[in-house]
Amino acid sequence: MTAAPPRRPLIARRRRRRSPFVTALPFLAPALLAYVVFVIFPMVESVRLSFFEWTGFIGTPQVFVGLKNYVKIFTQDPVFWTAFGNTVIWVVLSLIIPLTISLVLALALNRPLFGRNLFRSVFYIPGVLASIAVANMWRWIYNPNYGIGQSLGTAFGLPWLADIQWLGDKNIALYAVFVAFVWQTVGTNMVLFLAGLQAVQQEHVEAARLDGANAWQVFRNVTFPALRPTMVIVTVLTFIGSIKVFDLVVGMTGGGPAQQTQVLALWSYQQSFGNHQYGMGNAIATVLLVVTLLIVVPYLVWTARQEEK
Amino acid sequence: MTRTRDYARIGLWIALIISLVIWMLPLVFIIFTSLKSEQDVVGTPVFAFPLNPDFGNYAEAFENGNLLRVASNSLFIALIKVPIGLLISALAAFALARIRFRRNRVLLAVIAIGSMVPIQVAIAPLFQVISNAGLLNTSIGVILPYIGFGLPYQTFILYGFFRQIPEELDESARVDGASYARLFWQIILPLSGPALAALFILDFVATWNEYGMALVLLQTQDAWTVPLAIQGFQSQFTSSYGPVNAFTIMTMLPVLIVYLMFQRYFVSGAFAGSVKG
Repeated sequence: MTAAPPRRPLIARRRRRRSPFVTALPFLAPALLAYVVFVIFPMVESVRLSFFEWTGFIGTPQVFVGLKNYVKIFTQDPVFWTAFGNTVIWVVLSLIIPLTISLVLALALNRPLFGRNLFRSVFYIPGVLASIAVANMWRWIYNPNYGIGQSLGTAFGLPWLADIQWLGDKNIALYAVFVAFVWQTVGTNMVLFLAGLQAVQQEHVEAARLDGANAWQVFRNVTFPALRPTMVIVTVLTFIGSIKVFDLVVGMTGGGPAQQTQVLALWSYQQSFGNHQYGMGNAIATVLLVVTLLIVVPYLVWTARQEEK
Repeated sequence: MTRTRDYARIGLWIALIISLVIWMLPLVFIIFTSLKSEQDVVGTPVFAFPLNPDFGNYAEAFENGNLLRVASNSLFIALIKVPIGLLISALAAFALARIRFRRNRVLLAVIAIGSMVPIQVAIAPLFQVISNAGLLNTSIGVILPYIGFGLPYQTFILYGFFRQIPEELDESARVDGASYARLFWQIILPLSGPALAALFILDFVATWNEYGMALVLLQTQDAWTVPLAIQGFQSQFTSSYGPVNAFTIMTMLPVLIVYLMFQRYFVSGAFAGSVKG
């Protein structure tokens, strides 16, 4: 009886002070639901299944085998190491070639030039096309009988050029596919660099010029430092885009000839769905996940620190 | 001094023109090929202009590739996925940016990671999830995971955008007794028009182009989206070079039109991504 009166304001105060998370929940719920069911759960499940042997057919047993799938992919699966090596080559080349080209283009197109917007648009166009469409375009361009090499070789009387099997030669195929990747991605990165270049203070450039700095010195000491945040973002985006390369390889070589253009994302897919080795496929997926996290997590920590500053 | 600079500028301009031509060539080649009869494809070099343009390739490809069907599948998926996905992301971004609950930074980080992990990492179990739900080979069966995988990036970008909207606006609205829901619908969303438009366009193109997930989740021809049909056409009619290229070009047209119409959004979308990434 005596405890009753103070109870009411307490509830009222409580309601007013309802935990912010509870207030936030209705806004977060749909996103969290979709994210957990379609992203987080499959990812965790992928790691779990990498410790099992399974055909992937519902109703067939999942047998726990511990680390056997990993031992297999690391020691008995020659394709895994080819795929791993090619993925590394692909990522490293991506961080050098398209990035350099797009930075140079961005620097050039950041100046007042006649037709600047046309240039920007055209370089960007390949970036909006579906990778699978790009793959099929380039597959035709590389056609060994009627493609560009053949046409040029015949026209200029260079039989060696006409004879190159762009996608059929195991020493060339990966790089031939990579050319299509460069063509497709340069424009997107160029636009990011152009956006970043807006942060470069024109007065600083002028001041450096007045002090007698040449173009290279201006770039090194003024432009480049201002571009650093953009550089980091473009590098991370390029890493993410290149480590998951899939469509282009499927569309141009399917991993061939003789698995020489195989990459991790494709090999994981083929093990799971082509060879019905779900455990192996998911073990490769887990390797891909770990490699990605090794880059992404430090990057996020770094950005969080930057924001706190 | 100005003389040499002018020369440098002209040199740069010529170099850019040459690069531009090289950049265009792959597209030019496939347009040429798409207009050549089988005889001309075999008989003339790739770079030869199609003197007797044969538009029959387009009609043939349209028919054989079942373009109407796959394009309407893709359009349906994109038109449902993009607005719903954006709304869900905006709601989440709003909560993260405006309602100060504990651990919201941790949640943001978990979401950010999702925007950076390749789908191939989860594709096999995802197939099981969709299969168990009985949604294989249905549009809903790809729309749901598309929403899931699209969320992190959009939430992240919108979070950055919402944070730039001055908080005094919220406070005055809250003093007036507006709920968070009203704040979201009547203040934050209307102010976010440009960001939402940019994300809408970018996501439309990304959804139209998506291949990896569709490959696993849509296995019957009737359910195919455009990228699956491109690959299917290519493997079915391998040596009909004219129609194959005509088909590829027709599938590119919608995104090219969207791009040319909304070009500035691509740039501002990229800008949002780079500033607030």
